[in-house]
Amino acid sequence: MTKYIIRRLLQAIPVIFLISIVCFVLMLMAPGGPQAQFNQNRFIKPEQVDLWLQHWCLVRNPSPPDMIKEYAGWLGVWNCQTQSFISENGGLNFLPSFLGGGVNGMLHGDWGISIYLNQPVLDIILGRLPVTLLLMVTAWIIWLTLALILGVVAAIRRYSFFDQAATLFSYTFYSLPTFWLGLMLIEIFAVTLHWFPSQLIQSPRISPGPFASAVWWQAFWTDPGLYGWDVAMHLVLPVTTLVAVSVAGDSRFVRSAMLESLNQDYVRTARAKGLSERRVIFRHAFRNALLPIITNGALEVAFLFSGAIVTETIFSLQGMGYLYIQGLQAHDYFLLMGIVFIGAILVVVFNLVADVLYAVADPRIRYD
Amino acid sequence: MSTVIDLSHVAEAAPGRSIGQKPPDDVLLDVRGLKTYFHVLDGTVPAVDGVDFQIKRGETLGLVGESGCGKSVTSLTIMRLIDIPPGEIAAGEIWFDGVDILSLSPSEMRDIRGSEMSMIFQEPMTSLNPVFTVGYQIAEAVKAHRNVSKNSARDRAIEMLAAVGIPSPERRFKQYPHELSGGMRQRVMIAMALSCDPKLIIADEPTTALDVTIQAQILELMKSIQERTGTALLLITHDLAVVAETVERIAVMYAGRIVEAGTAEEVLLDPKHPYTQGLIASIPSTVPRGQRLNVIKGTVPNPFRMPTGCRFEPRCPHAFGPCKDFDPPLRLTGPNRESACWLQYPPGELPVKETDAPPATPVPVERVGH
Ligand SMILES: Nc1ncnc2c1ncn2[C@@H]1O[C@H](COP(=O)(O)OP(=O)(O)OP(=O)(O)O)[C@@H](O)[C@H]1O
Ligand SMILES: [Mg+2]
Repeated sequence: MTKYIIRRLLQAIPVIFLISIVCFVLMLMAPGGPQAQFNQNRFIKPEQVDLWLQHWCLVRNPSPPDMIKEYAGWLGVWNCQTQSFISENGGLNFLPSFLGGGVNGMLHGDWGISIYLNQPVLDIILGRLPVTLLLMVTAWIIWLTLALILGVVAAIRRYSFFDQAATLFSYTFYSLPTFWLGLMLIEIFAVTLHWFPSQLIQSPRISPGPFASAVWWQAFWTDPGLYGWDVAMHLVLPVTTLVAVSVAGDSRFVRSAMLESLNQDYVRTARAKGLSERRVIFRHAFRNALLPIITNGALEVAFLFSGAIVTETIFSLQGMGYLYIQGLQAHDYFLLMGIVFIGAILVVVFNLVADVLYAVADPRIRYD
Repeated sequence: MSTVIDLSHVAEAAPGRSIGQKPPDDVLLDVRGLKTYFHVLDGTVPAVDGVDFQIKRGETLGLVGESGCGKSVTSLTIMRLIDIPPGEIAAGEIWFDGVDILSLSPSEMRDIRGSEMSMIFQEPMTSLNPVFTVGYQIAEAVKAHRNVSKNSARDRAIEMLAAVGIPSPERRFKQYPHELSGGMRQRVMIAMALSCDPKLIIADEPTTALDVTIQAQILELMKSIQERTGTALLLITHDLAVVAETVERIAVMYAGRIVEAGTAEEVLLDPKHPYTQGLIASIPSTVPRGQRLNVIKGTVPNPFRMPTGCRFEPRCPHAFGPCKDFDPPLRLTGPNRESACWLQYPPGELPVKETDAPPATPVPVERVGH
């Protein structure tokens, strides 16, 4: 199994490399660029813009070779200062710096500087990660739990009133766009009823600093109830938005997995043994229905990530999703690449997690 | 127009079993007038439509009949494993060990299932749960009915694996079903069925899915276990060769009914019902080489349009007078020998269709407002 995991991780390297190159090139091909912010400014001359771009190792309207160069610079193969594959230290740029390589680019752990915020990309992302993680993990747990309960009960009581109601609920929410649902929730529960806050992860009135920063934690430990409750209240609407749409689809998935499993011969065998109905359903049927559900649940983490982008934007949560939209508007190539990179790793890792969990749950599957 | 004629005297000719009365002590299983219907979108399928048979303690009975005649549904009804709905046990009694199990509560029935009567299914490949070890699945059956420790359930499972001829049972105990061959899995199913010393084992085509050499081994195993333990066995099959070698008595089923029953020898050597005769004639080995195989002409009746008379009448080469309109009940034709065919009744007892002197030409119906 360890060997298998290592092999899969090695296989992931070219995949992530390909994802990054495709994303980078597509981004450069999109019309406009970071220089667009100067378009309306009469006092900035085109030469000054070119110089500014040069500072970021970019060119206006890059040709395909320029694109490759810019990508190679981001990756750390190309050195922008020396304009060659050779670093200031005299060796090939992609080598580690103690072997004469450069210090720029992902290969050297340098995620670049955000053009828009003028700060190291990695620092920005790490600062925004807690909000996104909190949102995603909370939503994921609630959504899987709900989907399991709804799906299993609907399968056991097939065609009952509960099942029909769950079907109606599912198709309704499944067909709702996330952004619309989010806006409606804000309108009803924040604007009209004032039950929950409509934006941010914490109230500015009591906020000691950015969420999950060192100062914040300090303040948090002085009064966990106050700060915890405040964050929880702020999470209600975004999490509901994220959960509602996904639970709808997933509870259907669980239901059909469970129905299929309940129809298997071994369930009949279990009944013929005289086992209790509870044991037949949960030990025999559910245990088997879990196999596709595990795969599905792990793969959905990637969807969750993209769902977080929309949700964070609607609720102005200062997480990675919101950051991504900001970066997109500013053509902040390096910031965007940083986030895309994390997304790609998430997808690859959770694909692997799905496969590993499957092998753990199903004795028929053996890797190696 | 036919009038309903009184058939009670004929029905009484069937073995003396009156509804609601406990069968004698030596009868382990007494199925009486059992009807299991399925209510589906197109209508109602009378999969089992008045089945009668008995199994004495320690006896082996073979239930034979062509595909779709309701053998599996009969066995699942006896185990009360029919899904209700769409199924419905519409009528009848199932006396098992002195109790009418159709009157038991689900939890009382659970106590009997797997312990007093157990079942072996046709598909060893899919009848075991793929995510649990075979040992666990046998031990689970033991634990469900015996108040024993985990260890003694385990010991019992290993003992059972050894009893059904599985080599190195300790090692097999820890294996998953996919690590075993089809024959081995069926042995595991048998071990599971035997684990609580049941009084009755129902085997629904236990060898159909296996290849021929394995089939013989499994049958041999079942026979030897049956002889050793003295359990009663209901062996369901469509293979007459299988029953001929394994069971003492045979019941032949056609379109949801028992049409003939008797000892294996009597039924196979002297079949009374034309359907049984057809079945035996169609065994390939009874036909000389190079000659066309015998087949029973026609097809099984459509469950939605059962013939009003004898269900076999449309295919029967001997059909005569009463067959088209009257359904023959089972009749004792010898000690423990029954047959449901008008040919077995003395001419005086045959029902006659009373015709109300039908008009030669239909009376024209006057239409109003034409
Ligand atoms: N769950 C069900 N719903 C509807 N009809 C059913 C159901 N189960 C069985 N039947 C019908 O009942 C009839 C008898 O089926 P059964 O499985 O008992 O036949 P069988 O004698 O066991 O045949 P085979 O030799 O193929 O196993 C068939 O016509 C079948 O279509
Ligand atoms: Mg069958």
